[in-house]
Amino acid sequence: MARILLADDDIELSDMLADYLGKEGFDVDVAHDGDAALSKALANPYDLLILDVMMPNRSGFDVLRELRARSLLPVLMLTARGDDIDSIVGLELGADDYLAKPSSPRVLVARIRAILRRAEAKGELQNGGERPDQIALDNLVMHMGSRTVVCGNNPVSMTSTEFSVLDILLREAGNVVSKANLSERALGRKLSRYDRSLDMHVSNLRKKLGPLSDGRERIKTVRGVGYIYSRT
Amino acid sequence: MHRLFWKIFLSFWLTLIIFAALLMFAASSYLEHIRTQQDIGSMRTRLSEYFHQGQTVAKQKGIAGLKEWLDRLDHSEAIPIFLINEAGKDLLEREIPADIIARLDRRREHAERGERKRPSHQQPIRLPDGSSYRMVPDFQSITLLRILQRPRVIGLPMAVAALVSALICLLLSRYLTFPLERLRRATQHIAAGDLAQRVVPFMGNRRDEIADLAGAFDKMAERLEKVFGAQRQLLSDASHELRSPLARLQVALGLARQRSNGQAEKELDRIELEIERLDELIGQLLELSRLEAGVDAAHIDQVDIRELLEGFIEDAQFEADSRGCQVKLQKAFPAMVKANAMLLHSAIENVIRNAIKYTKQDTAVEISMLEDAGNPDSIIIQVRDHGPGAPEEMLPHLFEPFVRVEEARDRLSGGHGLGLAIAERAVRLYGGEIMARNEPDEGLSIYIRLQRAKI
Repeated sequence: MARILLADDDIELSDMLADYLGKEGFDVDVAHDGDAALSKALANPYDLLILDVMMPNRSGFDVLRELRARSLLPVLMLTARGDDIDSIVGLELGADDYLAKPSSPRVLVARIRAILRRAEAKGELQNGGERPDQIALDNLVMHMGSRTVVCGNNPVSMTSTEFSVLDILLREAGNVVSKANLSERALGRKLSRYDRSLDMHVSNLRKKLGPLSDGRERIKTVRGVGYIYSRT
Repeated sequence: MHRLFWKIFLSFWLTLIIFAALLMFAASSYLEHIRTQQDIGSMRTRLSEYFHQGQTVAKQKGIAGLKEWLDRLDHSEAIPIFLINEAGKDLLEREIPADIIARLDRRREHAERGERKRPSHQQPIRLPDGSSYRMVPDFQSITLLRILQRPRVIGLPMAVAALVSALICLLLSRYLTFPLERLRRATQHIAAGDLAQRVVPFMGNRRDEIADLAGAFDKMAERLEKVFGAQRQLLSDASHELRSPLARLQVALGLARQRSNGQAEKELDRIELEIERLDELIGQLLELSRLEAGVDAAHIDQVDIRELLEGFIEDAQFEADSRGCQVKLQKAFPAMVKANAMLLHSAIENVIRNAIKYTKQDTAVEISMLEDAGNPDSIIIQVRDHGPGAPEEMLPHLFEPFVRVEEARDRLSGGHGLGLAIAERAVRLYGGEIMARNEPDEGLSIYIRLQRAKI
């Protein structure tokens, strides 16, 4: 059973949500402020952290920043609806996905499952899946088993969502992957209107990997279509 | 208090005094100079030169020419020079001072007695018609007024005085306008939304009305910053407080679904729909009040309109698909616009979503970028739907909050008329305009005029 830490300062909401998620088959733990969320997340082996942005003591962003310095625990941010900047900041700081509050708990469960699937892919591959154990292209090597990426000679740490996005782009290197396709395969959901998540994940990947050895952009945006991983 | 007043008063006064003193000094020293020259040889040579000139002119051009020559001479020469005929009248009909008449009489006596040999210039100038004029310089009548009236004589001192006073005035103007220029720039920044601007640090040790104005300006800016900050906080709090119950409601609904085992599905769906409507309405209301309060105006970016629209097409197509219509970008060209990217995004999004809501099935919402024929500094975005349009008399009211074009139809399409109001306020914030027009065949066009960014 997947263990989830729910960090939200609205106690009534957290209790109801814990109840709901429990019935959906998750083991839910709650934290009501930033400090508690961070210490719990670091102390226990959770599978996912649901993190509200607006929290006392330490905001969701601060928790995420601290957490990312030490852990790649998948994080789903809960942002205030209508505040696009929050979602962009969250994704930039390394959140795996975000969900505007208030949203239907059904949507929340779908997002949780998608993130968990991506993280679980790691385990399956370690037990010897059909896919090759590593992908190498130019100076980039992705180890599917350990779910690590080495660029040049430097290991690059990335969230499981970033890993999934890179995985798909790399497998299709030289071909354009449409945003809709990428969203379904990497994020596990249909691309929705005005969704900036993919753009942010790709932008994080660009920052972490840098340009190709010949100076070209590693992942190009094909406007109106999607993304393409360039090969030298 | 009133230091600036005294600064201006004193510096103008001082300038005027300096100017006048310089002029008077120059003129009176020149006057002295002429007077002391009375019996000096150079004066004599000048006079005899005048005599010869006069004689030549008289021979060649007669009385009229002589008159003209004397008039010209009088304008450049500081000493008045008379030409007096036998009847004792001046050629230019000026009044002759008594001492000159006396001197002439004395000369005539001397001449009759043949006592003295006269210098050449005291010979009479003879005209072809036989009449003759005597040339008499009047050293006593060199007055200050006469000197001031001779521009060639007073030119140099005047230039010096003007230069000195110009320098003083230049420094004064700079001293006065420099801080005003700073204030003007700060005001522009404030108007553009940068409320952190302060001017007192630029005033240095100034203690006058301008420094006071700067102080008052800073107080105003501080107050504005505080008010806007409070407004922003209030909106953010209101947003949070209004949405928290909604979030709980959503989860409670989820729990109810889990427990009802599909028994009240229809009712629960209805509750969910209404929650979503309420959520959207709250979002729009908050956005509208943010716009009205102008709290987001501060962050101005250069927005590439074509890129923005191309991004929209992709996104809006999802929404259009669910309604069985399309969204097409008909015409686009590169153009940059100065605006807050997020607000402009939201404005155009609202217009396009509105068009998608009203366009008929299997038709397209057409988006075009147009050059503004009347004004090269702006561009127009046209969003055209193929829907029923709106009654002519309603067109100007489409951008008012909660306006309904047709009661029944709007309720069906779930419209609550805030989208266009949001768009209008966002567009207006950057000096743009928005208007609606019915197309002759069918459908409604919304035109958004935006100011191009100056590169």
